Order: sequence, then structure tokens, then C-alpha cells
Amino acid sequence: MTPAQSKPFLGFGLGLRAEHYQDVLERKPKNIDWFEILSENYMIDGGKPLYFLDAIRADYPMVMHGVSMSLGSTDELDFNYLEQLKALIDRIEPCWFSDHLCWTGVDHKNMHDLLPLPYTEEAVIHVADRISRVQDFIGSQMLIENLSSYITYCEDVMPEWEFLSAVAERADCYLLLDVNNIYVSSFNHHYDPIDYLKGVPVDRVWQHHLAGHTNDGNLIIDTHDHDIIDPVWQLYAETARRFGPVSTMIERDGNIPELDAVLAELDQARRIAEPFYRS
Amino acid sequence: MSHLRDLQLRFQDYLVDGSEAIEADIVSTDNALAEHRLGTYYNAYRIRLIDALATDFSALQQYLGREAFENLILDYLHHYPSTRPSVRWVGRHLSDYLQQHYDSEDAEFLRELAQYEWAQASVFDAAASDQLVQLEYMAQVPVETWPELRFTFKPAIEWVDLYWNVPQIEQTCDRDEAMPDKQRAEFPQRWLLWRREFKTHWRSLEVHEAWALEQAFNGANFADICEGLLEWVDAEQVALTAAGFLKQWISDQLLTRLHDS
Ligand SMILES: [Fe+2]
Repeated sequence: MTPAQSKPFLGFGLGLRAEHYQDVLERKPKNIDWFEILSENYMIDGGKPLYFLDAIRADYPMVMHGVSMSLGSTDELDFNYLEQLKALIDRIEPCWFSDHLCWTGVDHKNMHDLLPLPYTEEAVIHVADRISRVQDFIGSQMLIENLSSYITYCEDVMPEWEFLSAVAERADCYLLLDVNNIYVSSFNHHYDPIDYLKGVPVDRVWQHHLAGHTNDGNLIIDTHDHDIIDPVWQLYAETARRFGPVSTMIERDGNIPELDAVLAELDQARRIAEPFYRS
Repeated sequence: MSHLRDLQLRFQDYLVDGSEAIEADIVSTDNALAEHRLGTYYNAYRIRLIDALATDFSALQQYLGREAFENLILDYLHHYPSTRPSVRWVGRHLSDYLQQHYDSEDAEFLRELAQYEWAQASVFDAAASDQLVQLEYMAQVPVETWPELRFTFKPAIEWVDLYWNVPQIEQTCDRDEAMPDKQRAEFPQRWLLWRREFKTHWRSLEVHEAWALEQAFNGANFADICEGLLEWVDAEQVALTAAGFLKQWISDQLLTRLHDS
């Protein structure tokens, strides 16, 4: 995987989805620079997903993104899971791997959801130390992603961006800043998303996610089943201005359209970000 | 126990069975009370797993209808919450659950349907086999080594024993055709499922082939199998019958190796 010193820029990528396997393999679109894969979908023994993964990997750089590391859980780290992750890393040779700043279950149960941590000193130390142990085990640094969240804990003592930054500093890991998630959480918790951008260390931001969501009026839910909305594009422009070239990809998980429709959104990301990279 | 662990246990108890203690830990705002905010997670947990299982057990869902399927899965999750990192494995106890806890005259049929769909899922992402035994190879096996011949099967193979006409019903669901009446046979029928390339195949086995295949799978040699087949076949026909099965298994691409030790 990539050496730690300089921030690599992969360009503009997509989340690889089964609906697009055939199309990608046949057309090999040039305007996709790289793919992000959901690690857990390929932690299997064989069959169609692994076949397409290997075939598409031959044509494109990849990064791996997981949802089950449960970095914030108070259960012991699941080394069985980490072994499987390591095996997939060895197979795919991704540019990097990432997971979320969250917990997904406790007491050996898995809720299969990204559950937020309280923003406390105790949680910073707990999660950062676990990230360090994962990095030691895998043998490289990882990226951690900010969540969309719907709750705030009464005991919080710092805003989310301070929590995220403190964890990244202590664990010496990088950040996957999901621009949609910043927008969603800022709406749900009534803060200014620009404060968020101001509060994270520029050099640690290695990747962005962009996605659509659903608004129920009082809360925005991070569903990844719609097109990206204008305020999120505007926030993305602001991230491009502040952070410079950062590898950016679009996540689409529900209501998945034809590949061309997602490619059109990816071109829009290019048109928005690239002018800031030149200046 | 740490403070963070207590908090996580309270949150999870809420997700799993609605225990409200966690509400005191959550900030309410004018537009969204703690209860409403938490409800987002409560609902998401259920919908995510119901949807995942509706993919693995699509015929079961179609047979029961969405509402009954949802209720079934919610109760199932109470008995068998997910414990693995991947959602792929959440449904692995569904047929056991139907056997043990589901009180309905349909229970046996539903269990068999769940068992059959789970076998399909297992075949779908079992390990691939690069090398398969080819028919030409059969002719090259020296006559004197035949009795000692043993067989290695590919990983992408499963079998299930079914009283009900489950495969027929599953197939009409898959094709969105009208569902035939369900029928129960007097004796269970063994069905073999396997994957060739990326396509799942299935067929029923007659009782002597089912026996021979199970023996071969568990390491019996050709001579053992012939001897056992005497229960169904005359002595002068038995080698031919066993060789016929072997030929069929090779044509179906079930075997990765023949070996004589
Ligand atoms: Fe994301």
C-alpha cells in the first residue's frame, strides 16, 4: 500500500456495485479513475462477486472500505475479521483501506449499523488505541470516516470535528471525509458545516465520499439512494478549495441507476473540484 | 465495567428489544425528540436485516407475503441476533428457527423452503474450482485401479432432503410465475445443488444415486460403493450402474479429483 509521507491523489472514483459489474468490464470507462469496494462483500470463498472483483481490479486501482471493524466497540477487536480483511488486502492490493468512526455492536452481537460514539476523552483514547492496534496488525495506516448521525449524547464534551481530529492525531491515521455525512449531521445537529471543515487537519484528509440522502423534514437520513443535492455540491466545492486534490468517489447503494447516470454525477464532481486544484 | 460499555449496552438493548433506558442519554431538540432520533436507528436495524434476508429468502418472502415475512424475521432476530461481521451469514439459522419455534401447520414446508434457499446461497459464493475432472480421463484410468478409486467433490455443492415440492415452488417464484399448489410426498426426496461457472444447477437424485454420492463424498472407494449398491442393483449390473453415476457426476462438473490411494 501507499507509503505514508505524501498525500496520494487517485482522481475521481466510484463505489463498485454488482449492478455495474458487466458494464464496467465490457466498457472499461476511462472517466472512472478508481473504484472503492465494500470489503465485507468479498470476504467469501468464491463465485461471481470475486470473479468480477479480480477482473475489474486488473483494469483499475482500488481502495477497500469496510463497515464491520467496529472500532468504537467495547468488545475485544475481532481478529478473525481482521485476518479475513488482511487476506483480501493481500489479494486486491488496494491503495488503502478504511472503516468508520463508530461501533456496530457489543456483547458479540452485530447490529449492522454505524452507531455513533459519545464525543468524550474516554472515547477518543479507546477508539484511537484500537485503530493503532489494527494498523499494527495490518501493517499500514488506515482511513477513518465520519458518520451521518441522528443522535447526540448528553455527555459529549466536544464537537464531532474535534473528536474526529483528536482520534486521527492520537492514532496517526488518515481521514475519509464524507461530505454528504457532514451535511447530514450538520442539519440534524444544527451546526455550520464550514466549522467542520475548518476543524479537521488538512494533511490527514485523503479521501472524500459524496452521496445522496433522504429528508424526512426533521431529520436527514443517509440512504445513498438519491442523486447528490446542490447544498452538498456546494459544500464539496468548499472542501476542494480548502483541502486541494483529494481522491473523491460517489457512493450509491439503493435505487441504483445505470452506470452512465452515476458517471454523469462523477463528471460533475470533476467540474466542481478541478478548478480549485489548478489555482 | 466501563462507562462507555454501559452506554453501548443500553443503546443495543434499545435496538434489540426497545428498552428505553438509553433515552436519558440522548439530547432532544425542538424539531426532533430523543425518542424520534433513536427511532431512526431502531427502524434501520430492522429494515436492513429484513431486506438482507428478503434477498437470501426471496421465495419464502413471496410465499408468506411481506408482512408475515417481516414478522417472522423480527422474531427470528430475537432468537438469533447477528453475530458475524458480514450480513451474508445472518440467515444461517433460519431453517433451525422455523423447526424449533414456528408454530404453524406450514412449519415443515417453510423450513424446507428456507433450507433450500440457504443451500442456493451457499452454492452461489462457495470457493471456485480451477481443475475439474474431464470425461476423457475416465477412459484413461487403468482397469486394475478402479476398485480403489476415490473422489473429491468441488466446494460448490450442497444437498437437501425435502418432503415438499420446494424446488418447483422456488422456481416459479424466481420467474414470477403463478405458484403451484404445495404437495408433500410420503418419503423425502434428495435434491442436489451445485454451481457451474456462475450458474446454479439442481436436480433430484434417485435413492441409490443419493446413497452412492453421499458415500463417495465421504471418502468411500469405487468397490465400497458397488458393494453397497447391491441393495438396489443386481451383481452383474452393479459396476455399470456405479460407473454410470460417476460419468454423470463428471458431466455435471461435480468432481475436482479422482485418486486411487
Ligand atoms: Fe460514506
